[in-house]
Amino acid sequence: MASVQNSYEPQRFSVIHPLDDVAEQKCSSDGLGQIAMTRAVRISLGVLRAYLVLMTLMLCYRVLQLAGVLR
Amino acid sequence: MRLEKVELAAGSVLGADPALDIVSPSDAGSATKEKGITVRHGWQRHLLTFLMVFGPGLIVMEADNDAGAVSTYMQAGGQYGLHLLWLLVVLLPICYFVQEMVARLGIATGKGHAAMIYERFGKWWGHFSLFDLMLVNFLTLITEFAAISLALSALGVSPYIAVPVAALGLTLMVITGSYLRWERIVIALCLMDLTWFWLAYKVHPEWASVARNTVVPTMPAGGIASSLIFLVIAIVGTTIAPWQLFFQQSCVAEKRLRFADLKWARLDTLIGSVFTVCVAGAMMLVGNFGFQHGIVFQDPAQFAGAVLPMLGHVTRNAILLLMVNAAVLGTTAISLASAWAYGEVKGWERSLHKNLREAPGFYATYISCVGAAAAFVLVPHVPLQLVILSVQVFAGVILPSAIIFLQLLLNDRELLGERWVNRPWNNFINWTIIVVLFALSLLLAAQVMLPNLFN
Repeated sequence: MASVQNSYEPQRFSVIHPLDDVAEQKCSSDGLGQIAMTRAVRISLGVLRAYLVLMTLMLCYRVLQLAGVLR
Repeated sequence: MRLEKVELAAGSVLGADPALDIVSPSDAGSATKEKGITVRHGWQRHLLTFLMVFGPGLIVMEADNDAGAVSTYMQAGGQYGLHLLWLLVVLLPICYFVQEMVARLGIATGKGHAAMIYERFGKWWGHFSLFDLMLVNFLTLITEFAAISLALSALGVSPYIAVPVAALGLTLMVITGSYLRWERIVIALCLMDLTWFWLAYKVHPEWASVARNTVVPTMPAGGIASSLIFLVIAIVGTTIAPWQLFFQQSCVAEKRLRFADLKWARLDTLIGSVFTVCVAGAMMLVGNFGFQHGIVFQDPAQFAGAVLPMLGHVTRNAILLLMVNAAVLGTTAISLASAWAYGEVKGWERSLHKNLREAPGFYATYISCVGAAAAFVLVPHVPLQLVILSVQVFAGVILPSAIIFLQLLLNDRELLGERWVNRPWNNFINWTIIVVLFALSLLLAAQVMLPNLFN
């Protein structure tokens, strides 16, 4: 006759701090090289370049104006 | 997507949710007993896990309410009363959505933002972003020390004592060799900002008017003037700063948050966003007291001095000390953002877990940033208020570039795979945010090129 064991044991949860936990598999860029230059990426970076140059010049102008250097 | 090899520690139970492993009583011993905490109820494990993950989201948001932000929000209240309160409500979801993406990218890759830009967009963009970040951060640090100098001068402490002591304290805060120690100190400083709510209550604003202006945009007297546009851009620039993207991603990587922690990191970020916007609103209400009583002020220290006869010493000192607290919070977070980013690009050891000897370049960057900004402020006749406002605007102009990199990285399927990339609705929201930021910056450009356009 098969014996039936009382297998009930209260559930417990172990909560581990992230700093104490084991390392996790992360998404790595090793061996991937640079991002694929899709059309969207190319356009975004091109617009960004132009924008940054324009904005920086204008902002410098504005700051100098506020500082009283330019009248 | 490539996956790195991992080592499994003995006694750990890896499941779908590694942060919340269910263990049998017999398994609860060994490694987990040493490093984990065993609880009996589901709600306890959720609460405990949240508390363990909690930190980076609150810190990055509240540190953004730095000295420049205190000045900008109080100026907004002082110049336009309650009319710009609605802008904070608009900025709340923007803050959250941007920082949620940062947290997601940090958890997915375990690396900082500077490292990801460098690896995926090449050296040119990597160095460009790093240079931008270091420049804006350094200018911002000047404003932080300027605020410390101003506030403590008003309390009778010489800047030549206050600024070096503050710089020393900020250095000691990070060189303890423990991330958690630094995090706990900074969270305590964040919670001190609760005092702003008491101050807002004490200045007795018309609460009905506060509620109305929070949900209904109203036009201030004078209409759309150039000063209003400049201030709106300054508020946007101070509420969403480029260093935040770099800081939170590096912080998440430093804390080694796991995939399963993402939901708690999101909650942390949401709580941080709401808390920060509410504190910013309280600052505006305090500034509104000046608007109501015709007090003209250039900075919060001047405001604190002007309200002394009406509100008393406690209020005055509270404003000045909160200004110092904001500057300290901002300085430690911004300097760390710089140190982490520089270390990532240089490939240095970069961690608060390491001591000075183990990560010399990382700590040298932090100390150099703090020391140089502190020294700059001690130079006589620096136009402080101009620097403060200009930095906020400059950060608002640079921000779109940092967000574009974030957006492109979160659409990088080769790197992230389908699990972590933006969903279409993420992309819709983020592109909308980018367009809004570009539009505000273009308004600034129009104001610069055609200064009489809005007058």
